[in-house]
Amino acid sequence: MRNLFAFFRRFRVFLVFILMQIFALTSYFSFLQYPRAQYLTTASAVAGKTLAMRNELTKHFNLGKSNSALQRENKLLREQLPQSFQRLQYGLVKINDTLFKQQYTYIPATVINSTVTKRNNYFTLNIGKSQGIERGMGVFSDKGIVGIIHNVSDYFSVVKSVLTKEINIDVMIEPIGLFGLLKWNGEDQRKGSISGISNDMHIKKWSKVVTRGGSGIFPRGIMVGKIEKLKPVEGKPLWDVVVRFSENYASLQRVYVIKNLMQEEQEELESNIPPDDEE
Amino acid sequence: MNIAVKYGVRFLLLAALQALVLNQLELGFGIQFMVYPLLIVLLPFEIGTISLMVIAFLMGILIDAFSNTYGLHASSAVVVAYFRPLIFKTFAPRDGYDPLKEGNSYDMGFRWFLYTFGLLLLIHHFWFFLLEIFRFDEILFVLQKTLFSLPLSFVLCLIIQAMIVSKPKER
Repeated sequence: MRNLFAFFRRFRVFLVFILMQIFALTSYFSFLQYPRAQYLTTASAVAGKTLAMRNELTKHFNLGKSNSALQRENKLLREQLPQSFQRLQYGLVKINDTLFKQQYTYIPATVINSTVTKRNNYFTLNIGKSQGIERGMGVFSDKGIVGIIHNVSDYFSVVKSVLTKEINIDVMIEPIGLFGLLKWNGEDQRKGSISGISNDMHIKKWSKVVTRGGSGIFPRGIMVGKIEKLKPVEGKPLWDVVVRFSENYASLQRVYVIKNLMQEEQEELESNIPPDDEE
Repeated sequence: MNIAVKYGVRFLLLAALQALVLNQLELGFGIQFMVYPLLIVLLPFEIGTISLMVIAFLMGILIDAFSNTYGLHASSAVVVAYFRPLIFKTFAPRDGYDPLKEGNSYDMGFRWFLYTFGLLLLIHHFWFFLLEIFRFDEILFVLQKTLFSLPLSFVLCLIIQAMIVSKPKER
């Protein structure tokens, strides 16, 4: 027993060191999968408020750019207003629309903290639970997809961006409708890649890549980027497809969070698929 | 000035600078400024290793809470605190450390500061980028990030040190 105490006394510095490392590293590696420790993230109240204050100071640096982006979007939306159409047929009565039912609604938000050069990049938004944000919602901007909500507090939320390992968003290559999973190699903030495209397909350079809308997180057809390069994968009948993102994540400011009103319905239906015995 | 107030102010200043300004700068080539190890070197010579590690851990956790790194900075800061006594011992002056002085480049001389702080910063940066990337097939990228960031962080630390440490009068 005495030897044991002597051992602890002798190596106490090293033991404290090991304990701290275990605490820090478990929190680091487990957070990538399971967001639990909320006090350690920018979604916590103090850090969130401080970052919001900083954003109040720095948001004006990009004002010109974000204004012109908003203006471009306004122009597009204005063109769809009833005022900008000329009526071609009179005498028709408008009735309650039974052909279309709203599936997606959008919640506007501002990015108050972001990084693009790390191995896993997270963005903090200035809205949270009280504005109706939940874990797993999609986020996009006027130019392209941004990521998926990863962690929510009362007034802030953290987005797991496209620039993280294992983001795996369902995407498709536009004119031919091929689909695969979007990945990021961790180096270049302007480029991602698509896995699972077999190399007997003929794919044109610079064809558009959009979201597939399969999992109900993103609606179909949100812009992701354009195909920049096709490289054969050694030893496998697959293309390594390099995608140039349409959004510049380094200057991202205004985003929209997607709320899918029919998500539960889709999940309920898909949970009824019988499990495969061979898996 | 009271010693607790002095180090408290330095602690908050360096944490705020790191979390609110430097973590937002992204220059490309994998360059990332990290200056908070400066606090760990400037703490008094006679402080125990365990209290040193506790202070470093708090510093790291505070910075983590602001930059979505969940313990990465804390782990690296504790590594610096753990290695500080070993490196200080290696570069100790002939008659030991004067408890009235602190580990800055004015009291101990630039050469001493370059060796000890440079070595600690190297350990810190290497540990940080190694854990951040955490893939052995990309060890070259880890080395690139370390070697590009290290000189810039060191120079920035010298500048910050010149601002927060008062220069002793010439005798």
